[in-house]
Amino acid sequence: MRREVTVVCRCNDVTREDILKAIEMGIDDFELLRKYLRLGFGPCQGRSCVMIAARIFARAKGKSVEEVLSNYRVRPPIVPVPAKYFARGLKP
Amino acid sequence: MEVPPYRRTGIVELGELARLGLLPPERRLRRGPVAVLECPEMIPCNICVPYCPTKSIRMERLIDLPAVDWETCTGCGMCVAVCPGLAAFVVDLSKEDYDYVTVPHEFLPVPRVGDEVVLLSRRGERVGRGTVIRVWERNRTHVVTVRVPKGLGMEVRAVWVER
Amino acid sequence: MTFRRGRRLTFTFEGSPLEAYEGETVAVALYAAGVSVLSWSSGLGRPRGLFCMIGKCSSCFMVVNGVPNVKTCREPVREGLAVERQRGWVPPADAAELGEVETRELETDLLVVGGGPAGLSAALEAAQQGLDVLVVDEHLRLGGQLLKQTHKFFGSVELFGGLRGFQIAGEYLKKLESNGRVRVLTQSAVYGAFRGGLVGVVGRDAHYVVKPRAVVGTPGASERYLDFANNDLPGVVGAGGVQTVMNELGVKPGERALVVGSGNVGLIISYQLLQAGVAVEAVVEILPEVGGWFVHAAKVRRYGIPILLRHTLKAVYGTEKVEEAEVVEVDEGFNPVPGSEKRFKVDLVLLAVGLEPDARLFAQCGAVMRWSPDLGGLVPLRTPGLETSVRNLYVAGDASGIEEATTAIIEGRVAALSAVSKLTEGSRAGRAAEEAERLNRFLWEEYRASPLLARARRGKQSVTVSEEEMEKVRALSPPPVSFG
Repeated sequence: MRREVTVVCRCNDVTREDILKAIEMGIDDFELLRKYLRLGFGPCQGRSCVMIAARIFARAKGKSVEEVLSNYRVRPPIVPVPAKYFARGLKP
Repeated sequence: MEVPPYRRTGIVELGELARLGLLPPERRLRRGPVAVLECPEMIPCNICVPYCPTKSIRMERLIDLPAVDWETCTGCGMCVAVCPGLAAFVVDLSKEDYDYVTVPHEFLPVPRVGDEVVLLSRRGERVGRGTVIRVWERNRTHVVTVRVPKGLGMEVRAVWVER
Repeated sequence: MTFRRGRRLTFTFEGSPLEAYEGETVAVALYAAGVSVLSWSSGLGRPRGLFCMIGKCSSCFMVVNGVPNVKTCREPVREGLAVERQRGWVPPADAAELGEVETRELETDLLVVGGGPAGLSAALEAAQQGLDVLVVDEHLRLGGQLLKQTHKFFGSVELFGGLRGFQIAGEYLKKLESNGRVRVLTQSAVYGAFRGGLVGVVGRDAHYVVKPRAVVGTPGASERYLDFANNDLPGVVGAGGVQTVMNELGVKPGERALVVGSGNVGLIISYQLLQAGVAVEAVVEILPEVGGWFVHAAKVRRYGIPILLRHTLKAVYGTEKVEEAEVVEVDEGFNPVPGSEKRFKVDLVLLAVGLEPDARLFAQCGAVMRWSPDLGGLVPLRTPGLETSVRNLYVAGDASGIEEATTAIIEGRVAALSAVSKLTEGSRAGRAAEEAERLNRFLWEEYRASPLLARARRGKQSVTVSEEEMEKVRALSPPPVSFG
């Protein structure tokens, strides 16, 4: 039997334990947590992990999810773009 | 606001149907086939209204509960075929020896006339066996009329064909 | 339900030949052939199988004809294709080797992002009102989640009541095809909007830069994920994912299933599993009452499926795929009750624990966003005509707040008519504005008057502001992007 884990981010294999450990280390800002654990930086672009991570973070810090997400920024590309599209550089 | 028991069980009791005006009166039930619409929530839907060939179902607003005119309803089963919630049934308690129930059916195999099928209650209990006497189809919903043991007419709400 | 399958063909999986049908995706063809592990995860090397099935997660990435990171749930299977499992996240080969992609510039009156119920109705309405429309959708064909809805929809005849979801999509596609004003890009995704009102699209074979006069964003929703032990094991699948496998492609998804969540999605999927010949052990619901509408609950109860209220999923077990699921009762504070665990021998665990609006397009454009638990998450603030704080960017459907397909269709029309009223002049503009108002009156005063929609109604009310208020919001938070 494989070790039991609870996966939050399926792209980069971030677990609930990883989030709780990071909070223990003193990370108290959700955007910092995202950068530290690369949550939402995988090919799904945060479509499955950001909200569940925000809820775990909110529960652990006794904050509301709204507060936790208050400085969540979405930057392009919002979907994965294959490298060949960048060969000549995206024009827009 | 109090949660009605059917929201905990997924099963609506006859008393609740009667309270909501969805149960035909005893006298009407004994006279012949009639529609029983087990639709206790205000779903924004009125599909049974335009399809009823005798214009026996009324709704003022889209979200109203259906009001059946028991006197003009002939128990034809069109509402059974078209109801998106599969919540319409026809029961016939008028015969001496058997009751008759018409239910929607969307499973394979499709029962054929003469088949013996398992009778299921609202709770999913196997309450007996019955014989299929009529089957017709509309947009992939089969409308199955089954002859059931006397006394089960208000119990049986689905049939299951054993493979 | 019956299925018409395409031509038989052969492809290879790790060197061995496998049969498939034309029209299937690679992921589904493998699933039908009994392959449950599609890849091993990047950090922990855990087996991963199908999960979302609608191109939103990354669990189905495989190496196809030597190219890594191919989303196999979106990749049509073809004769002779060579498919291999992928270990972790493979960096792409040298960009130059992959070749270049041509950039094409497109202009349109209205860009519709997403071809689900809201997008289809917006596109048709706008085209009928004389606008040139471009629809961009990620899937192989338009229809969005309607394509896998085999149940009949509620409503009135005018609202497609009584038709099955895929039939509603069919009605729209017929009308769109016969209308010469609609162009469609499938297997294409909007990756961002930029200064000057340009929108970037990753197309199937080309890169598009679109200059629209207005945009109706209908990107839909994502399925909510749940944290429990071994939640990434193959066999743990989103409810929508299983609907794709089963209802859109006609493949039986498993033998015995446990469904988590008793909202309409969980109840409908339970019934559909039963139709596909899958035994449903139970529907698990953490709340003390059924989440979905009574008639859907009654449908599963009469076929003997139990609904376990105040229960949650604790863990799943298995080596390469789910073999067992463990459920536990919860107390009033939603804490597990020790000793109340029950185990089910199942090979499929369906997550139907709710949807979240996929509103990232709006956030990326700088639209003012609001958090609404009633609507499932972050959504853009909007006017009654569904315009966001980004001028000429409209929102409709689940991305505007989770509701249902019929309201999505109505919202799509409202958004399109609002756009028409701004982009055209004279009597046409006036008529469009009147029609949008009439639809809004019906939506708010009649349709949403149902207590079953009270929560969504409250949520949508809380994120809708008048035109005047929106102008004040724009003055305070000027968006970096604007269209038109």
